Amino acid sequence: MKIIKQVGILFLICWVSQLVEAVLPFDFPASVIGMLLLLALLFGGVLKVDHIREKSDFLLANMAFFFIPAGVSIINYLDILKSCALQLVLICLVSTVVTFAATAYSMKAVLYLLGKREGRKR
Amino acid sequence: MMQEIVTSPFFGIWLSIAAFWIGVKLQKKTGLVLCNPLIIAIALVSAVLLILKIPYESYNEGGAVINMFLAPATACLAVSVYTKAALLKENWLPVGVGALCGSLASMGSVFLLCHLFSLDEAMTVSLMPKSVTTPIAVSISQGHGGMVPITVVAVIFTGILGSILAPGLIRLFRVNDPVIAGISIGACSHAVGTSKALELGETQGAMSGLAIGICGIMTVLFSLVLM
Repeated sequence: MKIIKQVGILFLICWVSQLVEAVLPFDFPASVIGMLLLLALLFGGVLKVDHIREKSDFLLANMAFFFIPAGVSIINYLDILKSCALQLVLICLVSTVVTFAATAYSMKAVLYLLGKREGRKR
Repeated sequence: MMQEIVTSPFFGIWLSIAAFWIGVKLQKKTGLVLCNPLIIAIALVSAVLLILKIPYESYNEGGAVINMFLAPATACLAVSVYTKAALLKENWLPVGVGALCGSLASMGSVFLLCHLFSLDEAMTVSLMPKSVTTPIAVSISQGHGGMVPITVVAVIFTGILGSILAPGLIRLFRVNDPVIAGISIGACSHAVGTSKALELGETQGAMSGLAIGICGIMTVLFSLVLM
């Protein structure tokens, strides 16, 4: 019953967020609404992590598995994939390095500036 | 007879589980990041469907059931952000700025490269959210007229690239701070990168997990404004 209750809580959150998505005037993914909703419930003290621990551990630990069907639908797009495979690989490679560098250096800059300000305070 | 076998939802579910199980075993045995269980599972299932000429729709009877778990799984990212609330509180400014710059750099660089290669609008939209976690990237792509499977493949491929490149990038850009390393890995390679970040250390893993949620939300917001 414990697990069923946890499934019930999570599915209710997903259900509500689908309704919210339908009502919102702009495109905001239901899955992200669900995440924000759950975050608000946790921070608001309405839900405790213990209420959903086993189920959420199961979902988070096996996240990759749930993507298999979405990935397999690529067999419907093999032609498009073939026509620009090289570009796709290059785009993924370059943007991964750029994203890593932008994140790392912007954080370094912030920490440097923060350190400087604290140094001045002392 | 064959028809009845493959149109049962249990066929798709069972095939996915078997393929994923083989993928996990292979990765354990070889220890290679390239042997990502998800990629192996996708390749195996695709091969079975193509070779036996089973239509995707039949497989998807079961696939849709598995797909349904994506929404609650994404919502559960909130649990991993929540359990790291203390870490976030301590570092909210650098984490926020890092996630902001990372998300912008990712979308911007993809946009520029797509134009450079003169790829069409649908392709550009499919690729732009590729650095964030699959459910969020898929929602963005879908909402803006992208091709969902292309997004899924690009997201997973980016994740694998991120987890392979992470140790090298940490050295290349001289990242000594585990907080910066974790957020950077999460920003460029979401959950697949996070599994690598967890191997590097607990702080790196926690931060990378945090970045999945924060970069995901930021990318959604940017997509509303930019796309």
